[in-house]
Amino acid sequence: MVNISLLATGFIFSQDCDLKLEGKIIDLYSDSPLEAAVIEVVGTNTNTISTADGLFTLTEQCPKKIKLKISHLNCKDLFKEIDLRQSESLSFYMDHHVESLDEVVVAEEKTNNLSTTAKIYSLSESEKDRNSHDGLTGVLEQLSGVHALSTGNSIAKPVIHGMFGSRIGIIYNGIMLENQQWGQDHAPNVDVNAFDNVRVIKGASALKYTGSNPGGIVILQSSFPKKIDSLYGKTILSGMSNGKGASLVSSWTRSFQNGTYFTAQGTIKKSGDLSAPNYVLSNTGYNQKNVSLAFGKNDTESDWKIYFSYFNNETGILKSSHIGNVGDLLRAIESDTIVINPFSYQINNPKQLNTHYTTSIDYSKYLNDKEKLSLKYSWQKNNRKEYDLRRGAFKNTASLHLNLDTHHFNSNYEWTSSFAEVNSGLFFEIQNNFSTPGTGTKRLIPDYLKTRFGSYITAIIHKNKNFDFGLGLRHEYLSNDVHKYYHNIRWESENYGPRLGPYVINEVLSQKLVKRKIVFNTFSFNAGVVFKASKDNTLGVQFNYVQRAPDIAEMFSDGLHHSLASIEYGNPFLKKETTQKLLLDFEKKYGFFTYIISPYITLGKNFIIIEQSGFEQSIRGAFPVWEYVPINAIFKGVDLDLSYKINRKLRLRNNTSWVEAVNSDTKEPLVNIPALTIKNQVEFSIPNWERFHASVISKNVFHQHLFPNNNNITSTLENGKKVDKVVDISTPPDGYMDLGLDLNWGPYQLFSSNINISLSFDNILNTRYRNYLNRLRFYSDDIGRNVMLQLKIKH
Amino acid sequence: MLKNIFTKAFVFAIILFVVSCDKDDSPDPENEEEAITKAVLVVTNTSDNSSETYNFEVEGHHHDHDDDHTDDGDDDDVDDHEGEHMEVELESNSTYLFEITFFNESDPSNSIDVTKEIIEEADEHVFFYELTDSSITIESAAGDTIDSSGDPIHLKTEWTTTSAAIVDIVAYLIHEPITKTGVSTRTDLGGSTDAEIEFEAHVE
Repeated sequence: MVNISLLATGFIFSQDCDLKLEGKIIDLYSDSPLEAAVIEVVGTNTNTISTADGLFTLTEQCPKKIKLKISHLNCKDLFKEIDLRQSESLSFYMDHHVESLDEVVVAEEKTNNLSTTAKIYSLSESEKDRNSHDGLTGVLEQLSGVHALSTGNSIAKPVIHGMFGSRIGIIYNGIMLENQQWGQDHAPNVDVNAFDNVRVIKGASALKYTGSNPGGIVILQSSFPKKIDSLYGKTILSGMSNGKGASLVSSWTRSFQNGTYFTAQGTIKKSGDLSAPNYVLSNTGYNQKNVSLAFGKNDTESDWKIYFSYFNNETGILKSSHIGNVGDLLRAIESDTIVINPFSYQINNPKQLNTHYTTSIDYSKYLNDKEKLSLKYSWQKNNRKEYDLRRGAFKNTASLHLNLDTHHFNSNYEWTSSFAEVNSGLFFEIQNNFSTPGTGTKRLIPDYLKTRFGSYITAIIHKNKNFDFGLGLRHEYLSNDVHKYYHNIRWESENYGPRLGPYVINEVLSQKLVKRKIVFNTFSFNAGVVFKASKDNTLGVQFNYVQRAPDIAEMFSDGLHHSLASIEYGNPFLKKETTQKLLLDFEKKYGFFTYIISPYITLGKNFIIIEQSGFEQSIRGAFPVWEYVPINAIFKGVDLDLSYKINRKLRLRNNTSWVEAVNSDTKEPLVNIPALTIKNQVEFSIPNWERFHASVISKNVFHQHLFPNNNNITSTLENGKKVDKVVDISTPPDGYMDLGLDLNWGPYQLFSSNINISLSFDNILNTRYRNYLNRLRFYSDDIGRNVMLQLKIKH
Repeated sequence: MLKNIFTKAFVFAIILFVVSCDKDDSPDPENEEEAITKAVLVVTNTSDNSSETYNFEVEGHHHDHDDDHTDDGDDDDVDDHEGEHMEVELESNSTYLFEITFFNESDPSNSIDVTKEIIEEADEHVFFYELTDSSITIESAAGDTIDSSGDPIHLKTEWTTTSAAIVDIVAYLIHEPITKTGVSTRTDLGGSTDAEIEFEAHVE
């Protein structure tokens, strides 16, 4: 391309494109050079990468106005217009918030603009890969303030600051995961290995994505491929002794100079029955198969992406936990475990089978150097089947079979300048839940059609180098069209007639079909300040005001929970829930000793919990009935992350989480609140062993002494006498210590690949323990020692 | 350009909305297909073939948060079966045939005999009487179902009484017991309880 310059200057050869632009990329805060920043000339295919000294050179430039886009993994994109008339050497300052991972307690990234001043906790690649076989919750649990609410050992969902389920949002590639998240025994249907970045915000501070998750938000994101001709990938192969399981995770990216890329990722996991220290946990194996594909193009001024993912898992439920009535529950609690079969890979009933498909299309465009517009459409299709031990013709029929389709469309407008960032947008969503008929058991969740739309605006204002302010506002309109069958017995005992009678559209046998439209309008608001007191010390203050509409399960669930021998009923008259959270972050980022101390308090009004309310008789005996009720609640807690680097070879880390939650009217503690948890870690390497490092991790979970009393009394025969016995489902188990050891070797060069090998031990002492947050704790010990060999290859 | 995108998006959203909202078909009702709502115990005196039939049927709610309930008991005190216990009159030093059958009457107009299913799945089921007194001996009776391992499932049992006594009995239909041999208490059986009935045997 020949360019005739109209701006002839004193240079003789100015009409030729032979100018050279040299530049240096510098971190705005530390004044240190930034390596691996990508510098692109907007509107051309020219790009380059900065060296270790932050330097780059663009040659063969024509004398004209050019626009540079400078991007870096941990920074916001920087646009700079340069009127190039002669070869020049310039410096570019980037807003870069991170020092090397070694120096900070918790890795922090600004890869993608979450539009918040809230503290973002991020997991490093090695922390993520270490638990790649373990699912999302296992990966997240490494962070302070995050726990796992589990059903056995392979089904777990994250608990953040004492909240879980519908109060936690999981956002993957900008899509809010919709997968029947209300259920305590429903693990998120997403493969953590499909994402490069795993981040957590401990509060509803990402109103750009969601406004109804007071507990916190998990953000999973793939990083943008570089604009170079390349084929790269990563493969992780793990073998586990406990369960004789294996997992293979592999991802590959083909990228081109012009910004086009294709990414494919897959995960296969298989495990047989896991083992407690003294016995096999029968029917606890699992199979998982996931695939994701992305195809897109990152142009300088616009990008688009088509994404598809498939998630499939089959998980066995501990055989011992299948009980029929409260008497069985009592016998289970009194025994160590009931069923011990020989080890097997076979997964029998009871089990869960989940499939989740995602398709999404993204497009975004820089309208100019300040404004960016993004559009996104996503379709999620979730299928959940739960199989119980059944009799007769229904033996192999799922007793729960739900199909959830969610279409989501949103647009985001972003305006950025040196002193502010503003995001605003509109979204629209339709969700259809269909319960496949013919299960031979009443629907746990009714059929419904949910329509949501709304808008949001968030802003971050950089007052000066020391002050950042954040504000956000989100409104949602939500309408639920529900078709629900009520059994006449329930209808009469609850006296639904006067209030729901007008909505009855059909009566069959002993049931009434009610069609209702329930509408909620919710407003959520947040405000935050980040104050840099000195170069090292930062204080953050976040306030979240969150309105959450009750979810369908809270309003309409209707069914029997086999593992707890209890019947659960929704409350059709629930109002929206309001929570207010105040969270402080005291952070010291640099130096040998670094820390984050985060105390918080959450007040919940109309806070929806499930509570025991009575009994229902059947020929199996009396079943406790649990119902959703609104209460006033107060959560108080503190998270602590400490890191002390003694020297280059030795570092100590600690993370501690404490939370307490009570009903503020009755002062009764809430159920399933994590106990005090302290994790200590010693990381060390050995002189002269260049490619080796290791860490010892001890996790201490204390006894939870705050719990509500939900015990029942049942009569049973014992030693020839009829006696009344307490079925103690309330008392939390004793505390325990889980000691782990990680040994890592590498990287070793093999052809063009880097290889890392690690040998990890979990519960190395083979300690017998039970975890309060494991719903199957009544039926068996938790899992015993596991030795994992992991091979990680970077291609 | 921008306007164009918005227009397309808007049209797209409208189409979605229209397509998705077109959902007015009512779902079909689901019935509890494998529930057991009734157990029938037929007790026959083998000396004169006289028999007595006892129906065990419980269905009811018991709520402590509603206003107008007339439950007399303490709310925390859970009696497995409300009301009077069934009394089975037996004579001492006699033999009786006890035969138990199960029904699903979730749909009152359609009573389903579940016993057939239990017999078909004999390997996975067992019936067990747990007694507070050892003066009665219970054995599998002629015509009882035997599973593939040769173990009787005790749907038909022969009771031999000795001295006079009042005996509390809890009987369980158990799904997938861990064993059927060497059983002396309910705990030995494991499995899940599909039905549980209680009665008193009055041996006179």
